[in-house]
Amino acid sequence: MEGGNLWHPVGLSYSIEAGTSAGTHLFGQELVVWRDSSGLAHVWEDRCPHRGMKLSFGFVRGDHIACLYHGWQYDRAGYCQYIPAHPGLDVPKTFKVPVYQTQEWGGMIWTTLSSDPVPFPAERDPTVPLRSLYTDGSVEAAVGALKSVRLVPFAAQGSADTIVEQVAETLYAVSCGEDRILAGVQSTSDVRIALHLAICGPSERYEGAGQSHFLDFALQVRRAIEHPRPDGPAVPGVAAEMN
Amino acid sequence: MSGQARFDFKGRLKADSFVEFARHRAARLSLAIKVGQANDDAITLQVWGAAELVDAFEMACSLGPYDCVVLDVARHDRELAA
Repeated sequence: MEGGNLWHPVGLSYSIEAGTSAGTHLFGQELVVWRDSSGLAHVWEDRCPHRGMKLSFGFVRGDHIACLYHGWQYDRAGYCQYIPAHPGLDVPKTFKVPVYQTQEWGGMIWTTLSSDPVPFPAERDPTVPLRSLYTDGSVEAAVGALKSVRLVPFAAQGSADTIVEQVAETLYAVSCGEDRILAGVQSTSDVRIALHLAICGPSERYEGAGQSHFLDFALQVRRAIEHPRPDGPAVPGVAAEMN
Repeated sequence: MSGQARFDFKGRLKADSFVEFARHRAARLSLAIKVGQANDDAITLQVWGAAELVDAFEMACSLGPYDCVVLDVARHDRELAA
């Protein structure tokens, strides 16, 4: 099984509002990420067992998600509870969508394709969302890009070094002085990745101006992934900025 | 309401493929199934369970698996007590 027993980011938490759904991929597998009206996030196989329609095209009602095609409604555990064409039917438990364990951490929604995943970090530090980057490239290219772009401090002046550390198998942290960016790497397919970026720290400090400041970092990382250079600063503009 | 029906499928069938398909669909629909005569020209199946899902079974099997062509379906119903 691709992905092993690891946790993988599938989006920034803020990008899935309560009552909405979105489709994504993990190792080529189609997933729906949806959030019920109580705020709980869910990651499921993106396929209605009835006719195969993507559930990400469906709509969320309370703690159910309904398929766009025939309105079959599924509860939080993935069981079909209601079929509009047969309102009196006691729906069999065999009508069930495969569901995956889901967590929120570091401003991102995480899932695992394993039924026995590695433990999830317990600490819950505040974060501010930055940007999700979807691009052609490999995990190695993304890591290389993170290591090649200088993180310019938000508030403090000075020339602190940019430090990149691997926090977990699919999570990196880029730090400079007091500033720290979390970067969750999602392998959407063999040739595409998504990089989910979140700023560590309270919203009072980073929301607005801080997000705008670090957006430049995100765009440079994207450029470095798409146009890797064998040596030196990876992206045009970085060298100038460092001088 | 529970229902029971016997279906006689005729066409250009591959018995093993069609029966496997029918068993899979019956399991998905929580229906009990009994396979009667089964050859490459005609297959008889009997299913019982929720009446709505017996209808769904007929719909699914009317199309059949990709390597079979169903030309005719005869249905014989028997209503059961709930």
